[in-house]
Amino acid sequence: MKSYALIIDNESCWGCRTCEVACKQEISSPEGVQLIKVLEDGPRIIDGKPEFTFRVNVCQHCDEPACVDVCPEEAIFKRDDNVVILDGEKCIGCELCIDACPYDAIAFDSEKGMAQKCNLCFHRVDNGLNPACADNVCPGHCIYFGDPDIIKREIAEKQARRAKEPSKGRSFII
Amino acid sequence: MAQFKYSNMEKEMEVYGYDTVIKSHCRMCHGGCGVLIYLKNGRIEKIAGDPDCPINHGTLCSKGIGSTQLAYHPDRLTYPVRRVGAKGSGKWERISWDDALETIAEKVLHYRDTFGAESIVPGYGTGRENEAVIYRFANLLGTPNVLTAGHFCYGPRISTTIITCGTNPIVDYENNPKCIMVWGNNVVISNPDCYKGEPFSQALDKGAKLIAIDPRLTRIAARADIWLPLRPGTDTALAFGMLNVIIEEQLYDKDFVENHVYGWEPFVERVNEYPLERVEKITWVPKEKIQKAARLFATTKPAAIQWGVAIEQQVNCADNNRILLALMGITGNIDAKGGQVLFKTPKINNVGRFGAHAMLPREQAEKRLGGERFRLGGNFAIINPKCVWDAILEEKPYPVKMLFLISSNPLMTRGNANEVYRALKAVEFMAVSDFFITPTAELADIVLPAATWLEMDYIADFWKRHGYIFPRRKAVQIGECRSDHEMLNDLGHRVGQGEYWWDTFEGGLDYILEPMGIKWRDFKKMDYLRGEVVYQKYKEKGFSTPTGKFELSSTLLEKWGYDPLPQFREPPEGPISTPELYEEYPYILITGRRIPGFFHSENRQLPWMRELHREPVVEIHPDTAEKEGIGEGDWVIIESPRGKVRQRAKFFEGMDQRIVSAEHAWWFPEKKDPGHGWKESNINILTSNAYEHCDPAMGATHVRTLLCKISPET
Repeated sequence: MKSYALIIDNESCWGCRTCEVACKQEISSPEGVQLIKVLEDGPRIIDGKPEFTFRVNVCQHCDEPACVDVCPEEAIFKRDDNVVILDGEKCIGCELCIDACPYDAIAFDSEKGMAQKCNLCFHRVDNGLNPACADNVCPGHCIYFGDPDIIKREIAEKQARRAKEPSKGRSFII
Repeated sequence: MAQFKYSNMEKEMEVYGYDTVIKSHCRMCHGGCGVLIYLKNGRIEKIAGDPDCPINHGTLCSKGIGSTQLAYHPDRLTYPVRRVGAKGSGKWERISWDDALETIAEKVLHYRDTFGAESIVPGYGTGRENEAVIYRFANLLGTPNVLTAGHFCYGPRISTTIITCGTNPIVDYENNPKCIMVWGNNVVISNPDCYKGEPFSQALDKGAKLIAIDPRLTRIAARADIWLPLRPGTDTALAFGMLNVIIEEQLYDKDFVENHVYGWEPFVERVNEYPLERVEKITWVPKEKIQKAARLFATTKPAAIQWGVAIEQQVNCADNNRILLALMGITGNIDAKGGQVLFKTPKINNVGRFGAHAMLPREQAEKRLGGERFRLGGNFAIINPKCVWDAILEEKPYPVKMLFLISSNPLMTRGNANEVYRALKAVEFMAVSDFFITPTAELADIVLPAATWLEMDYIADFWKRHGYIFPRRKAVQIGECRSDHEMLNDLGHRVGQGEYWWDTFEGGLDYILEPMGIKWRDFKKMDYLRGEVVYQKYKEKGFSTPTGKFELSSTLLEKWGYDPLPQFREPPEGPISTPELYEEYPYILITGRRIPGFFHSENRQLPWMRELHREPVVEIHPDTAEKEGIGEGDWVIIESPRGKVRQRAKFFEGMDQRIVSAEHAWWFPEKKDPGHGWKESNINILTSNAYEHCDPAMGATHVRTLLCKISPET
């Protein structure tokens, strides 16, 4: 079974937040329920050097997802291709997964009384399309989707071309 | 992305059951991004970037995707209305287009015949690519007064580049500049005229060196090889410092200087007036850093300067532009591949010709408001807004009786908002064309429902200087909304200009394309047209200036009675120019940093955009906040000698603690009273529009750097 990866090259992120709106357009989640979110890290001065990065926060589709373990309704499950899916139909809104997620990547949709998280646009991926946020919307080209080995190579090449100090922005890998 | 094709159009249609996809070009900001508009049963379902577009390469921004929420917004004005209560009472009645345009036409003819055409002032803001039709209407009517943002946005770039080297040199990102100096610009958020953040990102990812000039630590500054956090408003001095290094160390392009430059010697003398020690004192930037940046910029080829509007909204507007042009020029980067290119537009009837400037009688042109005072602006048909407010309020030098504001919200976006309010309240007749009844529109007599870019056919970007034109194709019709082009085409007929307009505006599109021998119906089948790309044209033809040279010393400015060489002026308010005031107002307030999702006063009512940024935010250094007793997230009162407003405090360590950074153009569409909170957080309550604070040649209002005090709201 193929496994998918959504990898963010945070060093390339400008904080333009197009990915957040691309997600909204796709999922129509209500106000306040943001399944992908751009966070600010800094600014601060470290050893006299200014630091300011953005960090894109989204479900990590963890190898051992805490949310799957705590869900009493088995509404969250991991597929063979590593995509972790929250099934809204089964969710009873107990919010245990929200507390369990170490990445703060699950939101509570109070309109529907249920949890929501990034399901990696499986409805698109299963049809041969990229997730909405990774469909080449990003003007900084920092959101990658596909074969993790190829992506890691691409990002490494990009970083080498930049010929600067090693990446300060953390890259998240599923 | 190996096995996936980006923006797979066929697959999208199959999976989602869309029945139509239209390729078009966005205009939620300065425009030009290729988009794919997916529809089902005549309704827009999704907007995506067009991977085939050479501008955005398939990417988009939040605003572009959010366009659907603009088009279908429940508060959108979808039919013309007439005010039935007192000004600002918020009482409107629906009228027909015929009624609305007949009323406007009657007023136009009445004021023209009674007070002269100059008493009628059409205007636009940053524009919906309607500038060409508005100027056409005005020039045919005989009014020299078109009220735009041009005095302090893009107009200065056009006028200063034309007088220096013939046209606006655009960064040639396609050919990978090896060093980019970003000056007062957050290009990745603002996507300024002629640019998008995406090609800039690509150039960096290909290894371009980066220099950032910005008082704030943006992400661009944080990624830069060198960041120069200058004292706000001292850009000209900083550039002088760099030029000093480049000239002294002979890092300039000697062939270019020897053969293609006018005014070298007096220019060098002027540069010598700004030794690095002096520049360091003025700018707060250590001279070693200036040296390092100057050397990197001058010795890396090709190099380019990505400049922003921040340097234009200052008293040094024209000279800021001119001195950055000097940096581009003497380092040999003008019209160089991968540098900054004087691109050629396809052979069309361009924005100037379409604007019918030649049709304005000379005696009317001489009446241009402020034309004698601000002669650079005046010569490019640009006026300073205070001239209009004065003409309304004091009838000097003659009365202005009618405003016709087409996509403009000056109450939020021009200096000295209180004076703008008094003028809009006082003007005898005002018509507005816009998407919503904005705080400005609330003071109108008639408001027309404007079409968004999704609702019109047009030739996108034909006014720009990057050399491309693109078809913008109509996707939907919303209510009775009309494009400003169709509206003015109709109004033109009603005021006796019929012979210069067309049966429908498609005729206008055909006119633009006429020199190419094609019509709109042909062009709309194309992806784009691009002018021929030729580098270093000056080697054969010289520059399109009076001397045929790159004018470091401007013969035109000299002719108009100005210093032909750039010079640095202290900001009108500041620690140096007004030390006493600085004691009472001890912080330098900078305004108008760019926020994702918003475009000046637009988009506060779009849920996806507002969710990104709910409230006006003032950035304060944590040490300063502590000193002033302000906590993170507190409402803060920001006060200048002219008034006070409130914004929400955010601690920001990435700037000097003497600086406070506020947002601009905030109003609150969710407040349903007719004021919509226009005074609460509007930074232009604090700014000055006094003539002596404006750029003396351009008339740019100095709104970016002033003094303030701050305190927690009690």
